[in-house]
Amino acid sequence: MNLKMTPTAVVLGGIVILAVIVFGVVYWPWATRIEQPSAIFRHRSAEEEKGRLIYIANGCVNCHTQSIRLVDWGLGAERIAQAGDYVADRPILLGSVRTGPDLSQEGGEHPDDWHVAHFINPRYTRPNSIMPAWEFLGNEKIRLLTRYVQGLGLKMADRRLERQKFWKKKSIKAYEAGPEKNVQWLHSQVPEGWRKIPNPYPTTKAGLVRGHKIYQDFCIGCHGPVGDGMGLAQPWIYPPPLNFTILKGRGASGGILYYKIMNGITGTAMPYFKRELESQKIWEVGDYIAVNFIDESDADQEPKGIDAAWEP
Amino acid sequence: MVIGTLYGLVGAIELVAPDLLGNIGWLVFGRIRTVHTNLVVFGFLTPALLSVGHFVVPRLLRTQLFSEKLGIFIVCLWNVIVAAIFITLSIGLSQGREYAEAIWEIDILVAIAFALIFINMIMTIRNRQEPLLYVSVWYITAGIILTLIVYAIGNVIWVPGAGALTGIPDAVILWFYGHNVLGLLLTPLAVGIAYYVIPSATRTPLYSHTLSLAGFWSLLVLYSHIGTHHLIQVPAPTWLKVVSIVGSIGMVIPVMIVLINFWYTVKGKMRTIHENIGAKFVFTGTVFYLFTCIQGPIQALPQVQRLTHFSNWVVAHAHMGILGFSGMVAIGGIYFILPKMTGRSIYSKTLAEFQYWMILIGLVGFMVVLTTVGLVQGNSWLNGETIYRILPQIHNYNIVRAGLGVLIVTGAIIGLYNMVRSIFFNLGETA
Repeated sequence: MNLKMTPTAVVLGGIVILAVIVFGVVYWPWATRIEQPSAIFRHRSAEEEKGRLIYIANGCVNCHTQSIRLVDWGLGAERIAQAGDYVADRPILLGSVRTGPDLSQEGGEHPDDWHVAHFINPRYTRPNSIMPAWEFLGNEKIRLLTRYVQGLGLKMADRRLERQKFWKKKSIKAYEAGPEKNVQWLHSQVPEGWRKIPNPYPTTKAGLVRGHKIYQDFCIGCHGPVGDGMGLAQPWIYPPPLNFTILKGRGASGGILYYKIMNGITGTAMPYFKRELESQKIWEVGDYIAVNFIDESDADQEPKGIDAAWEP
Repeated sequence: MVIGTLYGLVGAIELVAPDLLGNIGWLVFGRIRTVHTNLVVFGFLTPALLSVGHFVVPRLLRTQLFSEKLGIFIVCLWNVIVAAIFITLSIGLSQGREYAEAIWEIDILVAIAFALIFINMIMTIRNRQEPLLYVSVWYITAGIILTLIVYAIGNVIWVPGAGALTGIPDAVILWFYGHNVLGLLLTPLAVGIAYYVIPSATRTPLYSHTLSLAGFWSLLVLYSHIGTHHLIQVPAPTWLKVVSIVGSIGMVIPVMIVLINFWYTVKGKMRTIHENIGAKFVFTGTVFYLFTCIQGPIQALPQVQRLTHFSNWVVAHAHMGILGFSGMVAIGGIYFILPKMTGRSIYSKTLAEFQYWMILIGLVGFMVVLTTVGLVQGNSWLNGETIYRILPQIHNYNIVRAGLGVLIVTGAIIGLYNMVRSIFFNLGETA
């Protein structure tokens, strides 16, 4: 080979190659970028921007992506990311590792009080979480961080947050009217068909053990180990988590419990679990609550239709 | 390396026991992880590889380093930079862009440091007594000047506050940079050092200088433009993704050229590699280079990435490239030049061997565990399972991961002790 490797050849050759590449794969994508905001785009408020800086300072992007892909199922998967969603993001916070949930559409998923409890210690609201506790940030920074997170999803988040606020008022009113009225109100929000359905599974020891496991993984943080609503998250949440013992004698059917666990109670800190838990898991955690905390289970009562093949 | 890997270990423990170090701001995972990656890249690998480079280049050119004083000044400057990175990221001064988190003031210092290093190198080359430039000199010189450019562009230093562009172009430029921290900084330096250590340890001329040429230029052309393979599932321009995927697969070419060149040089001389601990580290690094750079093109394929993206699979891949390849070569390079610098053999060959196996076992185990976790995560996501269902599934793997991290940190501590003893209190035989 006659190509002589002089210092000039190495340095200039390298720079020329790099210049061509920078032009092609850095400058050109920038010059032809999409600046058209997407349909859900809006600018962030001043408080949301401040919260975003706290998010950046603490490396939240190391565990949370903001990048919904075609193949995703989880939180936010209703909206595949578009270039126009990011037009105000400087820097963009796509993330590269998804240890925690993607947050593209986190806004309005929960009311503010849930987020405060979650930031104080994530395991208060999500017993399986491995996120660090953020109590050290102090109330003001947690408030700003909450504002940022509640804005994730832009206009879609705003719609959800409005819904949270609307139902928050109603649920507080019901709670403050006392246990009798509160339970009545809660039941009345469940479609009639569901109210009449007893838990179709029989109460078995194995089923209760499985229900116990689900309860520990998803419910114990708010409702507490004995189901009295005095979990670790309780001091931050209003209306407070439901004390299951007040349901006794007030007609809480298996169907009502199932419906509440599945869909959650928007406006309160009670999230929906239909993404996380399949049907059997919801019925069994419902029966665990009914047997242990309400002391009143309708499991395996009529009408239950044709018996399932696997039942003992 | 000790602090860098220790931070990795603390991070790994936090993934298992998140409340263990509860509510200590500078020790939350988000900051720990950032400090870990930055210290490993800029605190351990960059100075280690550059220091070996500063020894190798004058030796290959039969001359002295242009300015020893400038060199010492750069070392001091670099230590200030690393301390500043450590402190700023710990107290939450971050730009939030992976591997480009350091704030603008530090970015400027890094650029100045690289400019000074380049001046020192190019002047050394000018003063050379040896007319021919050996391949190590090409790689090290190109790595320094191109990193200076890539670092400045990637950190968007013309925007002092945010240090970022806006929207999708910011992701494109970030991964252009993030990929080239490996492609144009760590890889050329490590390959350049391996090009010195391997023929030198085996006392054999390089297998082919033609292959060196082809490997060098194809690396510059291919490695530097494929960063967008980090964004295949993001609304970035499709043509850019296609370019990056094609280029990623093309990466097999420079990698295989270099490895064929190394391994044919070693052919029949493996004993000499085993006998020299420095060469052993470096040779092991070249094996990891193969693994990393075969896996890399495969996971750039969209079909594969649907499963692996965002999961710990990628974390395993990064550790393979950073510690397995660059790290092994950096440690080996230091062990290889120490006896030549001090005139005495290293303090303890046994400790160095022990370190070798601690890091090798720790790293291989780490890769197996993290790849497994990545597959669990990827399959679960595709199956519609949520994060809170998957976290308990990967809990036990994370415990093993932290355990393997202990091996790596122990290896680092032993290495530090051995190197300090070799330099300052070495009563060993003269080499």
